[in-house]
Amino acid sequence: MGTVYAKEFSKPRDFGTPSSDNTSQNRSNYPRDYEHSAYFNKEQEALSRKPTAPETKTINLQEVKARVDKIHVDGLIRTKDDIIKAQVSELFKAQDFQDVLARALKVRERLESLGCFKNIGVYIDTSNGPDATPEGVEVTFTVRELKRIMGGINTMVGNNEGALIIGARAPNIFGRGERLQFEYSYGNKKSTNVNISAVKPFVNGSLHKVLTTSVFSTVSDLPWSGYKQSENGFLLDMAISPGATGTLKHNFQYEANYREVTAGKQVSFRVREQCGPSLKSALRHICSIDKRDGIIFPTVGSLVRITTEVAGLGGNIGFVKNEFLMQNNWTPHEYFTFQLGMQAGMLRGISNDMQISIVDNFFLGGPLNLRGFDMRGCGPRHDGNSIGGDVYWALALHLYTPLPFRPGRNSFGDLFRLHGFINGGNLSNFTFKFDNDFKENLKIFSENVRCAAGGGIAMKLGNVARVELNLIMPLYFIRSDLLQQFQFGIGLEYL
Amino acid sequence: MSFKVVNFNVRNKNESSTQIQILKALFSCGREKEDFLTSIKKYIYICSEQYLKTHAQEQWPQPIIFYQPYEVEQILLPDNANCLAVQAYLKMCGLEFQIEPRSNAEYMSPSGRVPFIQCGAFLVAEFDPIVAFISSKGTSLSEQLSQTDKADMRAYMSLVNNVLVNIEQYICWVDQTTLNSATKPRHGSVYPWPLNHVINWQKQNQVTKRLKVLGWYNKTLDEIYKEAENCCTALAERLEGKSFFSGEEPTELDALVYGHVHAITSTHFLPSTRGIINIVRSFPQLLEHARLINNRYFNCNPNLIIEDLDILKCMSDDSIWNSSRSLESLPSLTEDSF
Repeated sequence: MGTVYAKEFSKPRDFGTPSSDNTSQNRSNYPRDYEHSAYFNKEQEALSRKPTAPETKTINLQEVKARVDKIHVDGLIRTKDDIIKAQVSELFKAQDFQDVLARALKVRERLESLGCFKNIGVYIDTSNGPDATPEGVEVTFTVRELKRIMGGINTMVGNNEGALIIGARAPNIFGRGERLQFEYSYGNKKSTNVNISAVKPFVNGSLHKVLTTSVFSTVSDLPWSGYKQSENGFLLDMAISPGATGTLKHNFQYEANYREVTAGKQVSFRVREQCGPSLKSALRHICSIDKRDGIIFPTVGSLVRITTEVAGLGGNIGFVKNEFLMQNNWTPHEYFTFQLGMQAGMLRGISNDMQISIVDNFFLGGPLNLRGFDMRGCGPRHDGNSIGGDVYWALALHLYTPLPFRPGRNSFGDLFRLHGFINGGNLSNFTFKFDNDFKENLKIFSENVRCAAGGGIAMKLGNVARVELNLIMPLYFIRSDLLQQFQFGIGLEYL
Repeated sequence: MSFKVVNFNVRNKNESSTQIQILKALFSCGREKEDFLTSIKKYIYICSEQYLKTHAQEQWPQPIIFYQPYEVEQILLPDNANCLAVQAYLKMCGLEFQIEPRSNAEYMSPSGRVPFIQCGAFLVAEFDPIVAFISSKGTSLSEQLSQTDKADMRAYMSLVNNVLVNIEQYICWVDQTTLNSATKPRHGSVYPWPLNHVINWQKQNQVTKRLKVLGWYNKTLDEIYKEAENCCTALAERLEGKSFFSGEEPTELDALVYGHVHAITSTHFLPSTRGIINIVRSFPQLLEHARLINNRYFNCNPNLIIEDLDILKCMSDDSIWNSSRSLESLPSLTEDSF
C-alpha cells in the first residue's frame, strides 16, 4: 500500500504539458499508445468503449503489471482528507494496468459524486523517487473546488410548464460534501415553488448514503381539475446505493405535508368537497434500477422503479399507494430504437377515519403522458373537472429514428429524434364490492381502454428535459375524454 | 316590471293566454304609437299576480342542501348565529332543505364563510346573498313592505351585522379565556395535531386583522357590553308591541335577529362572556321574539330559552364551558325539528 498525499494547490507541477512530454520518457513497461492515456480525460470515452483495441499491435493490458505507489490529489483547499482517502483508497488494490485505468475512472466518478469539485483531471505517471517500485505508478487527480457560494438564475421546464428559477447553493460547507441549497421558481402558470434543502453525504463505507432534509412550499394551479393547491412540507430523504455510481438505488423518505386545496369559481361539487386543509404524514420507499445508457434518448438498457408510499402516521390523510414504472430499450439497427414504457399504480385507503384527497389521486393524459389526450384528459370526470382515479395503467411503444439525412450529425442533430408511437391506458376507481373477486377490477384492462397512435419529433434539452411535438390520432376513447390532435409537451418525466 | 314580463314569457310557454294579451298590447302600441309601458301596464298586474301564484306553489326544481360546520363539536358562535338565521329564513319562506354538516364547510363555501346552500347548480353563501337568491326565484318576505320600511329593515340588518357579529367575533377570538378554553379546542377539533394549531392561528390572524381594521380590537370587554346593550335597545324599541319587526309577518330581519339572539342565549360560555348573555337576556322583547319564531318555525319546546336560563343559573360561576352541555341545547333545536 502506498500513501495518499493531499497536495496543496501551489505545488509546482505542470499538468498542462502536452502528452508529447510524457511520451519522450517512453518507459519500456508501457506501450507507446497508452502513454497518451496519461491524459485520461480525453481518452476515457474511447477506452470505455473499446478497452483493448490498438490497431497495429495487440497488447493485453491485463498482462502489464502495475502497482499504485502514490496517489496525489491536487487542489484541495477546504475539503477534508478523510473523505478523499475513503474515495481513492480502492485504487491501491489495482493489480495490472487495465485495473488501474478502470479503478481510476471509478474513483473519478466517486469524487464527482461528492459534489465538491468541478473539472476533475486524472494523470497517470510512472513513479520515481527513492520509494518507487519497478512496476509502480503514481496517479494524480487534479481537482478544482467549487466556490463557497454559488448562485444562478435559469429557466427550467417540468410538468408542462416553464419556470424561472433563482437558486443559490453553498457546496461543501464543512469540508465533507455537506451542502445547503435554496431554490425559488416562478412558473408561467402562476405556480411558485420554494425549496431549501441540506444535503449530507456519508461516504465512508461500502454503501453510498446521502441524507437530504428539505423544506418546501409550493403553489400550483390545476385548471383541468379546477383547483389550486398549496403545499408546505418537510421531506427527509435517505438515498442508499451500493457504490456511488451504482445502478441500484433505494430512497427512504419521510414526508410531512400540509396541503390546502382551493376551488375555483365554476367547479364541480365533487372537487369543491375536497377543499380545505389536510395533513399528510407519509413514509415512502423508492427502489430504482437504472441500466439505461441515457435518460432522455436511451438506446439500450432498462429502468425499473417501484414506489411504495404509506400515509397515515398522524395527519388526517391515510392511504397506501403503489406505483410501478418500467422502460425497456432495444436497438436492432443503428437507425431504429424501440422503447417500451409501462406505468401502473394503485391507491387504497387504510381506514375510514382517514381521507384521501383529490391531490393524492392518479391522473392520466397529457403530451408526455398518455399522448393524444389533454392534461388529465382521461379518466373519471364530473361536471367538466377531472377528479382522478385510484388505479391506472399506461403503456407506450415508441420507435425512434435519427433525423433523415442526419443533418448536424454528432452535434446539434443528435438532440433530435423522430418517433412514432402507440400508447394506451386506463384510469378508474378500484371497487371493493366484490371481495376476492377481482374480475370486476380487471375490467380496467378490457373496458374503456384508451389508445392513441401518432408521430412527431422529440428533442432533448440539457440532458434532463424533453420536448415533444406530436401529431396524434386517438383510436379508442370515451365521450367524456378531452382529445388533442396536436400536442406540444415539455417535461422531465415521460411515458 | 317589463323584465318580469319577459321572464314570464320564457318560463311559462304553455300558458299562452296572458302571453297573447301582452303580444296584443305590444302590437297595439306599435300601431297606435303609444308608450309601450302605459299600454301594457294593465296586463302587467295580471301577469305578476299569476307569476307569483304559479311560482309560490311550484315545487322548487332542485332540493336545497344546506351546508354548515358540525354543530356539536366545531361550530363557533358567529357561524352558529348565521347558520340559524339562514335556517330560520328558509323555514319562514316555507322551503324544504336538508342539512349537511361538513368539517370543511368554511373552505367549501364560495365566499369563505358559512353557511352556504346548494340549489341545483347554484351555490350561494351567507345570509344576504341567500335572501337575494331566494327572492330572485320569486319567494320573498319583504316584498309587501313599503320603500321606507324596506330601508328601515336594511338599516337594522346592517346594525345587526356590524355590531352583533363583531361582538361575537370579539368574544370568540379576542377574549383570552374564551379563545383558549372554547374557541381553539372547538375550531381545531376536526383537524389532527399539529394542523389544528396552524388552522387556529390562521383564523385568529384573519379575525383579529378584520377587527383591527374595524376598530373593535382595542375595545375592552366593558365597551363591548355597552355596544351590545345599545344594539339590543335599538332592536327592542323597534320591536315594541309587535310580534315581528314589521308587523304580523316575519321578514329577513326577524330571521337574522332570531339567529343571533338564539345563538347567544343558548350557548354556555365562560364567566367573562356571561355578561353578553345576560345583556341579551335583559331584553324580554327579544327573547319573546326568538321564542315565537322558535315555536312557529322550529316546532320545538316553547320553554327552551327559559329552561336555558335555569340551567345557566344552576351553573356555578367558575365552571368552564362544557361543550357536552351546549350540545344538548343546540341540536335539540335543529335535529328534532326537521
